[in-house]
Amino acid sequence: MGPLAWLYLFSILVSAGFLFCTVYFIIMFSDLESDYVNPIDLCSRLNPLVVPEHGAHAVMTTLFVLSGQWVAILLNAPLVAFNVNKILKKGHVYDPTEIFRTVERHKMEVYIKLAFYLVMFFWYLYSFIAVLVAEGG
Amino acid sequence: MASPAQQLPPGWAAQWDPNNQRYLFIETASGHSQWEVPGAPQGGQPVPDQPPASPAPGGPHNPRRRQYAAGQTQAYYGGETAVDPTYGTSTLVPPPTTGAPAPGPVAGGPQFFTPGLDNQQYGGAPVPAPGTGISGGGGAPGVPSYYGPGADQQQQVHQHDYINGPAYGQPQPPQPSFTPGGGSVDALTGQFGALGLAGQKAFQLYTTNLLTSPPEPRELLRPPPEIRLPPNSCVSPAATANADPSYQRSTLNAIPTTSSLLSKSKVPLALVITPYRSVKEGEEQVPLVTDTVIARCRRCRAYINPYVQFIDGGNRWRCCICNMSNEVPQLFDWDQARNQPGDRWARAELNHSVVEFVAPSEYMVRPPQPAAYVFLIDVSHTAVQSGMVATATRTLLENLERIPDEEDRTKVSIICYDTSLYFFSIAPGATDSTMLVVSDIEDVFLPKPSDLLVNLAEARSSLEGLLGRVHDMFQENSIIGNALGPALQAAFKLLSPIGGKIVALSSSLPTLGAGALKNREDPKILGTAKESGLLQAASPFYKTFAIDCSRAQISVDMFLFSAAYQDVASLACLPHYTSGQTYYYPAFNAARSEDAQKFAREFGEVLAMPIMLEAVMRVRASRGLRMSSFHGNFFVRSTDLLAMPAVPQDQSYAIEVQIEETITSPFVVFQTAVLHTTCYSERRIRVITLALPTTTNLSEVFASADQIALATLFANKAVERSLTHKLEDARDFTFQKLVELLVAYKNSMTSGGAGASAQLAISENMKMLPVLVLGLLKNVGIRQSAQIPPDIRAYSQALLTSLPSQLLIPYIYPTFYALHSMPAEAGTVGEHGVIMPPPLPSTSERLERHGLFLIEDGQTLFLWVGRDAVPQLVLDVFNLPSYEVLRGGKTTLPVLDNPFSQRVYAVIEKVREMRRGVYYPHLYVVKEDGEPPLRLWALSALIQDRADVLPSYQQFLQSLKEKVNGVGGY
Repeated sequence: MGPLAWLYLFSILVSAGFLFCTVYFIIMFSDLESDYVNPIDLCSRLNPLVVPEHGAHAVMTTLFVLSGQWVAILLNAPLVAFNVNKILKKGHVYDPTEIFRTVERHKMEVYIKLAFYLVMFFWYLYSFIAVLVAEGG
Repeated sequence: MASPAQQLPPGWAAQWDPNNQRYLFIETASGHSQWEVPGAPQGGQPVPDQPPASPAPGGPHNPRRRQYAAGQTQAYYGGETAVDPTYGTSTLVPPPTTGAPAPGPVAGGPQFFTPGLDNQQYGGAPVPAPGTGISGGGGAPGVPSYYGPGADQQQQVHQHDYINGPAYGQPQPPQPSFTPGGGSVDALTGQFGALGLAGQKAFQLYTTNLLTSPPEPRELLRPPPEIRLPPNSCVSPAATANADPSYQRSTLNAIPTTSSLLSKSKVPLALVITPYRSVKEGEEQVPLVTDTVIARCRRCRAYINPYVQFIDGGNRWRCCICNMSNEVPQLFDWDQARNQPGDRWARAELNHSVVEFVAPSEYMVRPPQPAAYVFLIDVSHTAVQSGMVATATRTLLENLERIPDEEDRTKVSIICYDTSLYFFSIAPGATDSTMLVVSDIEDVFLPKPSDLLVNLAEARSSLEGLLGRVHDMFQENSIIGNALGPALQAAFKLLSPIGGKIVALSSSLPTLGAGALKNREDPKILGTAKESGLLQAASPFYKTFAIDCSRAQISVDMFLFSAAYQDVASLACLPHYTSGQTYYYPAFNAARSEDAQKFAREFGEVLAMPIMLEAVMRVRASRGLRMSSFHGNFFVRSTDLLAMPAVPQDQSYAIEVQIEETITSPFVVFQTAVLHTTCYSERRIRVITLALPTTTNLSEVFASADQIALATLFANKAVERSLTHKLEDARDFTFQKLVELLVAYKNSMTSGGAGASAQLAISENMKMLPVLVLGLLKNVGIRQSAQIPPDIRAYSQALLTSLPSQLLIPYIYPTFYALHSMPAEAGTVGEHGVIMPPPLPSTSERLERHGLFLIEDGQTLFLWVGRDAVPQLVLDVFNLPSYEVLRGGKTTLPVLDNPFSQRVYAVIEKVREMRRGVYYPHLYVVKEDGEPPLRLWALSALIQDRADVLPSYQQFLQSLKEKVNGVGGY
């Protein structure tokens, strides 16, 4: 297995992590809407996860850049740009005082992310196998 | 003033309007009202003395329902009869026996039954209730309240009137208990009986052309559209069974059954709630249920109220919110005070829409906390120099005994701060205090574990001594700098075990420690899209700290005094999320006696205010309705639970309501419950119930819209939008909402339909809405301008989102009086307090060169003196020889020994005290040719004028019309 295969394997695992993470976000938002969790707890649980998630995604994209995987870069670049923009505008922190006003938007965002990570997961898997097959041939 | 009620033509009723000091005449058949005395009976009006088909609203069945002895009821009725034969003839129907056919719709009516008493009198047969008819609820102004809880309480209600209570500028619903008393009360009650008849027919929609009918300020004082509940909806015929609009009002007094109907009307549906409004002397106190028998629905947890239905022989009740059938608690019919069977129908919660329950221990997480106050006093150089410290400590000293402390449990602490914190420790029994200085403001700690937060009653003398000394102690203080953040943290540490109130007084921008802020005021970005950034919190500290406070049941009040930029927007966050209030005295200088007086007065009122502690508020509504968003000073703790660590009096909240599914019931109920601890350490629940009919008719939706509530909602929405988007968006949004409403009205209610129209039609009950919206768009908090300092804007926005309607409406649409030409009786003490001059439309067209005018918005008073004012007038009012000598600016008006001066003074004092709330407005004398800034400020209050880029009312209507016709042309 060459470094490229390792990279894709790493991406698969990280994507799986993202998937779990977004599902957790969705569950927490639903809990909030059905009063199982209060906004303060919600925010204190979710906020520590936001920056690591964005960071991991940025690291993964950087690795793609370093290894020159152009398709992967193109696929991931929009999300990186979105995340960076959000952090620069300080919009990445969930604000308990505003959460009920913004929860719909957050949920929508998380659903889109979930779909994206899911597609990417399978795409990484495909690429991983493609790389292995190419190496084998 | 003699009551004109007796001289009225048939079919008319007179209703005393306390704010205008005159009668409002209502044509009972059509609901039309006017200020002029109606002349001869109009064609088509019922002429007979007694309107035909008068079923004596609520009359015959009351005795039976209440099950008083016939003689007893007769006695009460007799009193009425003597004065008012009209009413008497109908009410003198003897109490029918059980078998007698009851008048009114009996079928399907609820069964009223009092187990204990019923057997004795009626042989155990459940008594079918005759149609309560229009007597149900607030839509039943016809029912005088002569029965009811112990009769005496109701009698008291019946008697009190505006003679005792000074007029306050809030429209009152036509409730008999609020009608003027004296000789006219019985006649009026009779008239209202006739008025009640009109309640049975559908809402009549009157269309007005805005282009031809100029706004009439007196319209704003009208009561909201009547609530016409279907017959039998209410178990109590009491007029108090539906919420008074000053406690809770809805933008629509008839709720559309489907959300499509609501969206078709484009009228936003929302509640405006002031759960803890102050009750002036002479007004009815909120009744208290002391026996801790709290009947609540098992499913939706709603409290029992006058709109439930008793079923199963009175042993069960059906919840009016979720239709669940519940058991009536066993002790519900037991009078615990006298230890004997009680009268269920006399219970306060079945007769009053606003009621307070004493809560048993299940409603407590911990024993009721004592009230605790921590005062943070800025003693830096600027604060001392401005005289703030001296004024604050003196006011505190003078008002120590007014701080609510009935049980001697109230705790108080004083912390002074500049760049260090100064704690004062008072040992028990000591008569002196020790000062402890903490200069480590990075990591705040309490210098002593105890004796910092002391019992007010025990440490009274040492506190007095301390307060007397504080100013001298820091008189020579030359330290510049402000550690407000650390001071707040220290107060938090002190209070967090018990909760309470932090009162922070600050004279400059916080510069040190946590929550330090930078001067971000930049004149270049004022008036641009970036301006809304200045209205948001600059530092996350103020939000996170607010949440910590909310969790620890601590509320923060901010008193801000700076002459320079202080970042009110950031600081106001704390009161906003902890249900406190921000008070702002820009460029405070105690050397000006007006400044000192205003602050001392308002601070004193805040200190004396009985507050609710540790409160949570929830609004429940009938099936199909959901509270969707919340505006006001609180923290939304879960989807519908509002956390309010300390509820001040007279704070208003707006809640938007969504119709989620089709409503099938004939009426819906909104119930607000506030669980709180009084400042006298009693756990209580305040419940406010508002029942509103439903409708499938679009014209009824329009006819039932309440323009005051709508304007209040728009103010809240505009402020919210200016923070999340831009100020410009907020203005466009509000304007767009109004256009949509007008388009919807035009398309569905006028014959012109969707085509272009020369008219601008709106229903009569909403005709002041455009001018109120214009006022809102011109308000300092929202207005388009590059000159408004962000601090002033932020403060104004804080007011827009927290003032109750009564204060908010003048704040966006100032009242304008001509004093030089006021009627002879204006300014004198009349039957209902000081008589006010008639308000004028707020336009400078009415300004005369020789005149004396008063413009007031509840926060500021402008006394406008025309340039040709005759020397006699200047002499009479200001005791100055001529107009030239007169100086503009803040003034205290002298009371002189001449009738005109006394009348002017009386009018001004009346304006200052006629509304609820702690505000004591400044009085500015404005000379017509005086300093331009002051002149322009005063003129900007005349919102119907054109000012700079802001349109006049006529221009505003034209642009509305263009939009309406443009959109309608699709």
